Amino acid sequence: MNSKIQRSLAVVSAAALVFGVSAVSPAMASKHKTIYLAFQAPLTGSNALTGQDELTAARFALSEYNATNPAIKVELVIADDQGLAEVAAVVAPGIASNKKIIGLIGPAFSGATQASLPAYKATGLPLISMSATRVSLTDRKAPVNGFPIFKRVVANDKFQGPALARYATKGIASPSVYLVDDKTAYGKGLADYTKPSVLKIATLAGSDSVPENTSDYTSVVAKVKASGANVVIYCGYAPDAAKFVKALRDGGYTGIFAAGDGVLKATFPNNAGNTAAEGARLTAADVPFEDVATAAQMVAYTKLTGIKIPGSYVTSTYNATNIFLTCIKQGVTTRPGMQNCVTAGSFKGIAGDTIRFDRYGDIIGGAAVGAFTIKAGKITYLGVA
Amino acid sequence: MNLQVLESQFWSLCLQGVALGFIYVLISLGYTMVYGVLRLINFANSEVFMVGTFATVVAQVGILQNQTNSQSLHGFRLIYTLLFALVFSMLICGFLGILVELVAYRRLRSLGNNRLASLISAIAVSIVLLETTRIITYSRPQTSPRLLDKWSFGEFAGANFRIDTVMVIVSGVVIFFTLDRFVTKTRLGKAIRAVSMSEEISKLMGINLNRVVALTFFIGGLTTGAAAFFYTTVYETTQFNVGFNLGLAAFTTAVLGGIGNLRGAFYGGIFLGVLEQFASAILGSQWKSVTVFTVLVLVLLLKPNGIFGEAVQQTRT
Amino acid sequence: MINLRDKGASIWENWSPPARSSFVLIVITLVALLPYAGDFGPTSFLNTPISSYQAVLVYPIALFVLMGLGLNIVVGKSGLLDLGYVAFFAIGAYTMGIMGTMTSLNTWEILPFGIFFAMLSGLLLGLPALRLRGDYLAIVTLGFGEIVRIVALNLKVTGGPNGVVGVPTPPPVFGQKFELDDHKAYFWVILIMILLVIWMVRRFTVRRPGRAWEAIRQDEDVAALMGVNLLVYKLWSFTIGAAVGGAGGVIYASKTMFIAPDMFTFNTSILVLACVVFGGLGNIWGVILGASILAYLPERIRFISNARQLVFGLVLLIIMNVRPDGLLPRKKREKIKQKVVN
Repeated sequence: MNSKIQRSLAVVSAAALVFGVSAVSPAMASKHKTIYLAFQAPLTGSNALTGQDELTAARFALSEYNATNPAIKVELVIADDQGLAEVAAVVAPGIASNKKIIGLIGPAFSGATQASLPAYKATGLPLISMSATRVSLTDRKAPVNGFPIFKRVVANDKFQGPALARYATKGIASPSVYLVDDKTAYGKGLADYTKPSVLKIATLAGSDSVPENTSDYTSVVAKVKASGANVVIYCGYAPDAAKFVKALRDGGYTGIFAAGDGVLKATFPNNAGNTAAEGARLTAADVPFEDVATAAQMVAYTKLTGIKIPGSYVTSTYNATNIFLTCIKQGVTTRPGMQNCVTAGSFKGIAGDTIRFDRYGDIIGGAAVGAFTIKAGKITYLGVA
Repeated sequence: MNLQVLESQFWSLCLQGVALGFIYVLISLGYTMVYGVLRLINFANSEVFMVGTFATVVAQVGILQNQTNSQSLHGFRLIYTLLFALVFSMLICGFLGILVELVAYRRLRSLGNNRLASLISAIAVSIVLLETTRIITYSRPQTSPRLLDKWSFGEFAGANFRIDTVMVIVSGVVIFFTLDRFVTKTRLGKAIRAVSMSEEISKLMGINLNRVVALTFFIGGLTTGAAAFFYTTVYETTQFNVGFNLGLAAFTTAVLGGIGNLRGAFYGGIFLGVLEQFASAILGSQWKSVTVFTVLVLVLLLKPNGIFGEAVQQTRT
Repeated sequence: MINLRDKGASIWENWSPPARSSFVLIVITLVALLPYAGDFGPTSFLNTPISSYQAVLVYPIALFVLMGLGLNIVVGKSGLLDLGYVAFFAIGAYTMGIMGTMTSLNTWEILPFGIFFAMLSGLLLGLPALRLRGDYLAIVTLGFGEIVRIVALNLKVTGGPNGVVGVPTPPPVFGQKFELDDHKAYFWVILIMILLVIWMVRRFTVRRPGRAWEAIRQDEDVAALMGVNLLVYKLWSFTIGAAVGGAGGVIYASKTMFIAPDMFTFNTSILVLACVVFGGLGNIWGVILGASILAYLPERIRFISNARQLVFGLVLLIIMNVRPDGLLPRKKREKIKQKVVN
C-alpha cells in the first residue's frame, strides 16, 4: 500500500469514528421508556475539578435510582461547558432543543449559568444548580434573573457572606480582618457580600485580590503581617486556599484563617498540610458528603467513581439530582410537569433536611449556613454559623 | 497604593522575589536554550514543567513511600530523598524534552523553514500533556509531603532566611553556573553554540545537528525539571494547570534578558521575581501581570533585544 | 504532496467569467443554507451532539472564520506574529456590552464604535510594538491580550469578573428577527461580514498594501531598502486585523447577551492562530477551511466528553506534522520565492 492510500484510509476511518459513534448512540434507547436529565458543568479545561467532582454525585444518585429497577429508566446527558460562559452559550441551545431532556442539573458556574439562561428560559427547561452562588441569579431586581426556571440547592452569597464574617470574627477581641479574594466571579462575589458585614463588626485591615492559580502568596503574607490583622478571610477555591494558608503559617501568621464553601472540601486539610489548616474556620451550605452519607453509600460511591474522598458540592449535586428523580418517580415525564413538581414540591435532602424552593429559586430557610472547623486534619461540623 | 508594607517587609519581599526569580530562571532556560539554537519558542516547556512537578510528587510519595502526613525527614534520609526526587524530576523532564523535540519539531525541522507550524505543533503537544495529566489525576491537586522541615537560619532586616528559600537560591546559582560553564567550556557546549550561530556551517564542520538539537532540549528539560522540583518543595502542591502561569513568567524572563542569552535569563528572572513581589505588595496582586507586561514593553522599547541583548554572539548558547 | 490550492487555481483560471460568477453564487447559497443542514436528512450527520448545531455554526465556527481571516491579514499576509488577537475581539465585545446597556444605541449603531475602538487600540499598541522584531512582537501582543482581560476583570465599568449582563440583541433587519433559540440570522450577518472581509483582502492583495505586506513578510530589510515604509504598512495590517476582530466581538456580545473576562483568554488567541496555520497561512480559503474544522471538531466529538480536548490536541499535532504548510497552502510560487530569500 502506498503512503497516500494509507493516509487517506486513516482519514476516512477517523472520520467514520467521529461521525459514526454518535449516530449509534441515540439508537441505543431500549424498549423501556427512558427519560433524560442533563448535567452541565466544567469537565475539561482548568475548572474541570469542580465539575468532575459534581459529576460523581450525579452519577451516583442515578445509579442508586436505576438499581431499584424503576419502570422509567433515567439517563444522563453530560454537557461540558468548561465553566466558561462562551462554551455554555453554545451548549445551552443544544440541550434546550433536545425535547427528551426534562431537567438540568447545573450549570455549575454562575457565569456559565448567566450565559445559558436565555436558551433555557425560551424552552422552559427547569434547572437546579448545585454550585452557582451569584446573588443576581435569584434576585428579583436584577436585570436578568433566572425566574421562573432557575432553582439552586446552595446558599447564595447574600447569606453566606455575613455568616462568614460573623463566624470568622467570633470570640476574637478587637478583630482586624484582612480580606482576600481570588478574582473569580465566585470569589469576588462572596467577598463583595462579606465586606459590608466585616466593616460593621470589625475593622478592615486591608484587602487584596490574588488571581486564581497563583503559586506564590508571599507578597500577600507580607501585607497581612504589615497590616497587623488577626483574622484572614479568603474567598476562593480550595487548591488556592491550601497554598495561601500554608504560606501564611510558614510566614509566621498565627491568627484566624477563614474561608467560604469553595474551600470546604475534604482534600483541603490534606493539600494544606495538616498543621497549616488546623483550626481554619469554614462556612458552607454544602455539607461534606462523607458526613451525611451512610457507610454503605460511601462504599458504593467509591466503587462507582474510584474516588475515596468526595470533593466539593457533592452533597448538593446529589440532592439536586434526587429532586429530579423524586419528581420522575411521581410520574413526571415533561418539562412543564417537572417545572411544577420542582416549584411546588417538598423534598428530602440526604442529611434529612427538607428542601423547598421560594418563588425566585432559593431554598426556603436555606439561609442557615453551616460552620465547620478543621480538627486533627478532619473537617468537623460545629453547627449553624 | 500601599506603601506602608515597605517599611517592615522590604527585605522580605526582596528575598522572596529572588527565590521565586530563580525558579523562573531555571524554567526560562528551557525556552532560551531552545530559542538560541532553533530560533523557535518552545511552547511545550510550561507543560514539561508541570509534568516535572508531578514527577517530584511521584518520586517522594509513590517511589520512596513517604505518606502525605508523614513526619519530616532528617539527616541522610532527607538528603537522599531530596536528591532522588531532584534527579528523578530532572531526568523525566529531560527525556520529555527530547520526546517533545521528536514529536513536535523533528519532522517539521527536516521540512525546512516552518516557524509557525512548529509553534502550533508545540502547542498541540502541550494540550496533549495537559489533558493527559488532568485525566490521570482526576483534575485534583496533588500534595507533596513536608519532608523538609522548614527551619530558619534567622531573620535579617525582617527577611526570613528559611531553609527552602536559601536552598532554591543556592542550588539555582549552582545549576546556572554549571550550565554556563558547560556551554562555554565543553565540546558539546561549543557544538551547541556553533549550531546557534550557523546551522549550515556547523553541519560543514561535522556536527550532528539532530544530536545537538536533542541535547539542547534535554538540557532545557533538565533545568526545567530542577525548577519543578524546587517549586514542589517550596509550595508542596501541584495541579495539572500549574504550567501556564509559570511558563508565561519564565517566557517573559527569557525575553526580558534577551531571549537566547543565558546570562540575560539569569538577571531577567531575578528582576522579574522581585518586580512581581513589589507590584503585588504595592499595587495589589490583581495588577501584578499588568505591571509586568507594561515594564516588559518599556524595556523592549528602550532595548529592543532585551536587557542583555541577543545580538552578543559570544554569550549566546 | 498534492497542492489542492494550485490545482483549484488552475481550474479556476480556465473558467469563463459567467461560469465563475455562477460558481461563486452557488457556493454562497450553499453556505447560507448551512443552518438548515442539521435538520435535513442527508446532511444531518453534521449535527453536533449535545450542543446546538446552529449555535455552533455562529460561535465558534463563523466567528472563528471571521477572526481567522482578520488574523490572517496580520500573520499570514505581513508575517507579524500576534499572540493576543483576542484583545481586539474583547474590545469589540465590551464596546457593545457597555454601550448597549448604558445607551439606547442598537447593535448596528454600536458596530462602528466597536470597530473604531478596536482599531484605535491596535494603533496604540502597534506604534510601540511594531518596531520590534519577530518573537518580541509575539510576547508583547501576548501581554497586551492578557492586559485587556485583566483590566476588564478589575474595572467597575466592565462589571469585574461578573461581566456585563443583559446586552441587547440586534433589532430586526429586513424583517429578519434575531431570536434566542434561532441562530440563523446571526449566521447570515457574520457570513456577510466574512464575504466583505474576503473582498477587502483580495483587493488589498493585488494593490500597493498587499505588495508591501508581501515584501515585509519575506524580508524586512530588503523591503525597507526598496522604499517600503515598514511601520506604516505594518500598522495598516495590524489595525485592519484589529477592526475585523472588533466587529466580530460586537456581534458576539450581542448574540450571547452576556460577556465576562474569562471569555477572552489566551486560549482563544492561540486557537484562532491555530486555525490560520492549520488551514494554510496566507491563503484565505485555507484559513476558512482550517477555522471551520478546528472550531467544529471539539463540538462534533462531544460524546467523548472527558478526552475531548486530548483528541483535539492529537488531531492538531498529527495534521500539523503531515501538512506543515496547512491544509490548503499558499501559492507555490510564493513559497519558492521564500526559499530563495532564505
